[in-house]
Amino acid sequence: MTNITLYMPLEELCLSADISQEAIIEVVEYGIVTPVEGETLSEWVFDLESAHWIKKAIKLSQQLQIDWVATAMVIELLKSKQQLEKENSQLKARLSRLL
Amino acid sequence: MEFKDYYKILDVKEDADLKEIKKSYRKLALKFHPDMNPDEGAEEKFKQVAEAYEVLKDDDKRAEYDEMKRYGSSSEQGFKAPPGWQSSGGGANHSGSSADFSDFFNSVFGGGRGQSRHAGQQHADFYKGQDLEMEVPIFLEESVSGITKNIEFMVPVFDGRQTQQTKKSLKVKIPAGVADGERIRLKGQGAPGQGAASSDKKLNGDLFLHVRLVPHPLFDVQGINLLLTVTLTPWEAALGIKLEVPTLHGKINLNIPPESRSGKKLRIKGKGLKNKTAQGDLLAIIKIDIPPVTSDEAKKLWEQLAEVEKYNPRDDWSN
Repeated sequence: MTNITLYMPLEELCLSADISQEAIIEVVEYGIVTPVEGETLSEWVFDLESAHWIKKAIKLSQQLQIDWVATAMVIELLKSKQQLEKENSQLKARLSRLL
Repeated sequence: MEFKDYYKILDVKEDADLKEIKKSYRKLALKFHPDMNPDEGAEEKFKQVAEAYEVLKDDDKRAEYDEMKRYGSSSEQGFKAPPGWQSSGGGANHSGSSADFSDFFNSVFGGGRGQSRHAGQQHADFYKGQDLEMEVPIFLEESVSGITKNIEFMVPVFDGRQTQQTKKSLKVKIPAGVADGERIRLKGQGAPGQGAASSDKKLNGDLFLHVRLVPHPLFDVQGINLLLTVTLTPWEAALGIKLEVPTLHGKINLNIPPESRSGKKLRIKGKGLKNKTAQGDLLAIIKIDIPPVTSDEAKKLWEQLAEVEKYNPRDDWSN
């Protein structure tokens, strides 16, 4: 049986995604994600959804050559797009049962 | 190997300066980035643009590429580098994962598909394996109880010359209470790392499972609540009825009160889904269905009802 994990400590996220601590601090400071626990930097732990957005934010910022304010905005829009798409498909499924 | 004309891909002239290259890259990156452009083929186009920019923005890489372009030859078998050509290694540090780059790029500038050169290392002679992501469909019942699943996936393995896809299978325990869209990480189960320290498991990429709930024939999911559509006849809705309704944990009795309108929600506590902190409910939503009129007797009864009942559902139209 393969072991699964649902959380990633800061250090492990840096190593796994090949990203710097400084970049993750920027992502947190701009409110893109929040650690699920940890008072100090070395204690930060992220859930995998946040880890996904951290990686995406850093990649987007590099690929599109945009600053952190713009990255935060793009990520916010992507998150709400994803949420709206999910709600839309749930509502469509509900509608098909009611009609 | 197919030759890549990076100038054509970036839509710039061969003597374009860095400013022009940057400008064109930004324009094309915004146009084709897979997060901005859902069209089929946009992601591939973006990868090509990113690869072209990776080369043309860097003086050393661009010089090597120009040399290759000038002296290489194309034939039916594809592009051939000039005889005895070898990368000077001037462009060895790629800013992205070489997994995103073509075989042409990797053969010219080094790096293997499925790995990314480990940043910040003094001796960059090893590569971190690529993370992989796959969707795992699970049934609602399985998300409630948890389930052990066999998953099969392809892993890109770089043999030093080219990338081969290798089939891998794993047994994974999906925990109870997992929600739609949730991610599960299988540490070190992604593409293998390469190089001097490749025996270190930390260098392997991870496998991320993205859980997708398969639509259920009866229940819809709304957060931790379950929704069940309860279809009634007009008289059942008018008079009320005691019904046996399905839940994920077996059948239960439900009292439908008289005068239940279409869309009314009846909450059945504790019969929804459960997460780490809360227990959801089952919401029974009333839907009223009109039966086909198949006999004269039934038709007469409807007519009688129409005479007796003066209710007008379109009252608000008269104002």
